[in-house]
Amino acid sequence: MTNSSVAAELRSEDVSVWFGERQVLKDVNLTFRANRVTALIGPSGCGKSTFLRTLNRMHELIPGAGLAGSILLDGKDIYDPSVNPVDVRMEIGMVFQKPNPFPTMSIRDNVLSGLKLSGMKADNKDELLETSLQRASMWNEVKDRLGEPATALSGGQQQRLCIARSLAMNPKVLLMDEPCSALDPGSTRRIEATIEELSESMTIVIVTHNMQQAQRVSHETAFFLADENTPGGVVEFGSTEQVFDQPIDPRTNDYVNGHFG
Amino acid sequence: MTDPRPAKQPWNKSSKVASFKGGRGFADAILIVVSLLLSAVVFALLLSVLWSVISAGAGALSPQFIYQNNRYISTTTSLEYGGVGHAILGTLWLVLLATAAALPLGLAIAVYLTQSQSKLRNLVRSITQALAGLPSVVSGLFVLSIISFLGAQKSGIFGAMALFPLMLPTVARVAEEALRLVPTDLRLAALGLGAPNYRAFFQVILPAAKSGVITALLLGLARVVGETAPLILTIQANNGTNLNPFDGGVATLPTYIYGFISAGYASSITRAWGASLVLLVLVGILFITARLLTSDKKRKKSKGTK
Repeated sequence: MTNSSVAAELRSEDVSVWFGERQVLKDVNLTFRANRVTALIGPSGCGKSTFLRTLNRMHELIPGAGLAGSILLDGKDIYDPSVNPVDVRMEIGMVFQKPNPFPTMSIRDNVLSGLKLSGMKADNKDELLETSLQRASMWNEVKDRLGEPATALSGGQQQRLCIARSLAMNPKVLLMDEPCSALDPGSTRRIEATIEELSESMTIVIVTHNMQQAQRVSHETAFFLADENTPGGVVEFGSTEQVFDQPIDPRTNDYVNGHFG
Repeated sequence: MTDPRPAKQPWNKSSKVASFKGGRGFADAILIVVSLLLSAVVFALLLSVLWSVISAGAGALSPQFIYQNNRYISTTTSLEYGGVGHAILGTLWLVLLATAAALPLGLAIAVYLTQSQSKLRNLVRSITQALAGLPSVVSGLFVLSIISFLGAQKSGIFGAMALFPLMLPTVARVAEEALRLVPTDLRLAALGLGAPNYRAFFQVILPAAKSGVITALLLGLARVVGETAPLILTIQANNGTNLNPFDGGVATLPTYIYGFISAGYASSITRAWGASLVLLVLVGILFITARLLTSDKKRKKSKGTK
């Protein structure tokens, strides 16, 4: 396997987010260490998905979105005016909640679509195709049907195809926004296994509503909460074990034990 | 694309049948009868138009009527001579020229209306919709005023210019709908992979909306292919074939029909009906193509739901 990229550390410093006049996040300070899986948990509307989108500058695509603070990728601010958001998104990949393969492309073209879309050249496309699909642990399922349309795959396979599509760009960081919420338990299990393998070569940040999933896949967990009419923020951040077994903040305790949310 | 909604269950049908009792069932029955009747009226109208064109025009049809031009033919010449070949070519040529301008611009408007977040969008949409209500004769008059302002001779290019504003709003509106149907997810996925906006559009959004955009094109063509008034005002008639849009007269099917029906002789009237039939077939081909392309899209979609 060729893993030319190296996992990077991602750090947010005093990140605040607005939609129009409304502030939805306030002073988020988190460090996502290289080769670690970090889970973002919290009730709906607490801003964790919004925060995830600030990490690769997808947030600014929403009309009226504003941001303060900085996001450092290996110490370099991705919001620096000299930085092109397009380059950021090539280094920091994203997997969405709903599988969204390109319906007009074959399985093969979907995996390689990032190259064409970003105008990059690959030395050996077939090798990249095989490697990416293997890393998403679906090569054996699809190697004989690479020319078929991506829409012919099942929902779980489509989501793994989307992961393979991101991996083909060799990202340093992979952001996952509830990647399993539309999938059955079997597909979920396979994606969780993939996440574990991928963390060997990249940094992963995953938003999840599933407490068990956070405990299964993540090394660190950040608990987000937004009280009524106040912007959301991080209540507690630590190792997953600590956040779930010995939470310091009583609100974290209530949430991870299912008392609200 | 996955559609999370469950498939329609068969019990829906039986419950509808069961509701045919009491007052509400009666009102339903009346609604069904009335809609059937009105549909029948529309269908009868369509059939009678078709029938009158076919019965009156069939007499003129022959292979030579399709490919010959009308040079050396007068309004009273026997139907064995001459044809509408030059008018078919002229119509296709003018419509092609109008399309060359209306398709890129209509598509550009549709892209602007769907992809931009500018506040001017509503203004652009209103103007486009207003343009759709432009009477075709006004469009012809406008171009005629340009011709006299320039001191130019009427020619094919001016005919195409008069067709262009009629075609544009149809293309823009239908293409906008087609682009709007492409899920935002796909655009985000493309941008998330490091695509600049233009690549996301050309490589992901436009291919996903392809059949809808082709439909927009065909409906635009169908909108202008039979237009008569703007052409009468902006082009000179010609009995021969002329493929130069910048010089000389050009015949089109609608102006041919208008010219020969106005002449009033038995053979010229039959020629006009024959040309109408040819025009009808041309429009029919466009609509059937559009329908085939859209149904192809639906089939692909339903395949994608599992």
